[in-house]
Amino acid sequence: MLKRAAGILLVLLCAVGVVTYQATRPDRAPAGARAFVPSPKFFLDFSPSFRTTIADAYYLQMVQYYGEHLKSGALESMPAMVDLVTSLSPRFKRAYIFGAFALTDAGRPNLSVKLLEKGFAANPGDYVFPAYLGYFSYQYGTGSKQENDAAGSRWYRRAAAIPGSPAYLLRLAAVLAGKGGEEEKAVVMWGQVYAGGDKYSRQKAVAGLDRILPKDKAARMKAVAPLQSTMSEKDFEALIAELFQGYGQ
Amino acid sequence: MRQVRAITVNTFRETIRDRVLAVIVVFALIMIVGGLWLGSISLGEQGRMMKDFGLAAVTGFGLIVAVFIAAGLVHKEVEKRTVFVLFSKPVSRGAFIAGKFLGLCGTMAVVLAGMGLFLFALVGVLDGRVSGMVLVATAMIYVQLLTVMAVTIFFSTLGSAILASVLGICVFVAGQLSQNVLQLTRLGKNPITEALSWVVYVIIPNLSAVDVKAGVVGEQTLAWGQIALWTAYLFAYMVVVLVLAAVVFRRKEF
Repeated sequence: MLKRAAGILLVLLCAVGVVTYQATRPDRAPAGARAFVPSPKFFLDFSPSFRTTIADAYYLQMVQYYGEHLKSGALESMPAMVDLVTSLSPRFKRAYIFGAFALTDAGRPNLSVKLLEKGFAANPGDYVFPAYLGYFSYQYGTGSKQENDAAGSRWYRRAAAIPGSPAYLLRLAAVLAGKGGEEEKAVVMWGQVYAGGDKYSRQKAVAGLDRILPKDKAARMKAVAPLQSTMSEKDFEALIAELFQGYGQ
Repeated sequence: MRQVRAITVNTFRETIRDRVLAVIVVFALIMIVGGLWLGSISLGEQGRMMKDFGLAAVTGFGLIVAVFIAAGLVHKEVEKRTVFVLFSKPVSRGAFIAGKFLGLCGTMAVVLAGMGLFLFALVGVLDGRVSGMVLVATAMIYVQLLTVMAVTIFFSTLGSAILASVLGICVFVAGQLSQNVLQLTRLGKNPITEALSWVVYVIIPNLSAVDVKAGVVGEQTLAWGQIALWTAYLFAYMVVVLVLAAVVFRRKEF
């Protein structure tokens, strides 16, 4: 009887100890800035049927890691994490976009551009990648401002050429081409915006052309002349009328 | 044929009575809680996460049910001694194995259909878009599990139920990897290991060939012709394994 009571008491004490420790133990120790990230090759070789599930699991870990370390800025494992997720799941668009912004927060915008290029190579029919590449080249490019503008314009133009892309991309390309010193290209792009756009796009195109075209009437006419072959006669006449408003006969 | 049908129906009733359908309820609860949790932490990728983790869960739960029931099917009959009554009648060993397998196929169809349809509906509700590919992927998981079941039944005729379960799970894992292991050993350029891995590759069912989970989240362009051929291959594999199981079982003395 005594033995039995002692046994019950021991079990109860253990149970109380377990619950008390769980309830009162200090919060989880802060995770280190470096996390263990396996090689993508390992999973590609040994999990052919579950690679997207593993990519999802690491994506969730990546988001959590970013949230935990954003304030301190210690995001050393972010490049490896992003590489792992996008290698296991090359069409996981959100992972690329999130990863690109997270890498800039980690102080590695050059890797953001590389990541988006990798995404574009895996998803050549998706305009989102060159559109973001345009933004990152413009915002974080390592060249001079003019070079970054020109690089951004080139990416936006590639994005605009992909079927299904929104009209504003060509407008962005034209604006950046003008800023980047590529006025001739900018004129052609604004011409495309004008020819294919709605009323709003046409207003933007006229304003954009007005900014970059010379003020002199003859020079202005010479600069817009190449547009004649890129649009219908009716559109060209309408554009000329708007661009030369106030110039007189 | 009538004997096979009778054993099939009895096996189906017996396994359903074992409360295997509770797996569907557990799966549903886990998926609902998991789905809500994933929605809050995945930055708008709830649909993708639900499909991926849901199909992995269907595979996991299905594998547990398939392997443990298949491993115990034959042993249970022997332990309960019902097998003596059965074989005192004009029932062949082959018909016994075939009936057991087909009955379990029915049970697994109910279990996987329950999980697959629930996942399909849940993804539709939480993601706002229905995905027929979830059902297709569930059907392909079913084919994989049938193969594992056939292999487990074969092992159960050779040894204990526990050993058969463990070997069944091993075959499932090896079936996911066999193709990649063969490719890796070819890189090593060692003719002995290459020959060995080729033998393993031929013996182990190539389960990853009919896996379409990556296609559900748009990660893979599926070659349906190839998948149909590999499915036919797996059915042929099942026939071979079940015939072998019947041959082994025929040699047993009761």
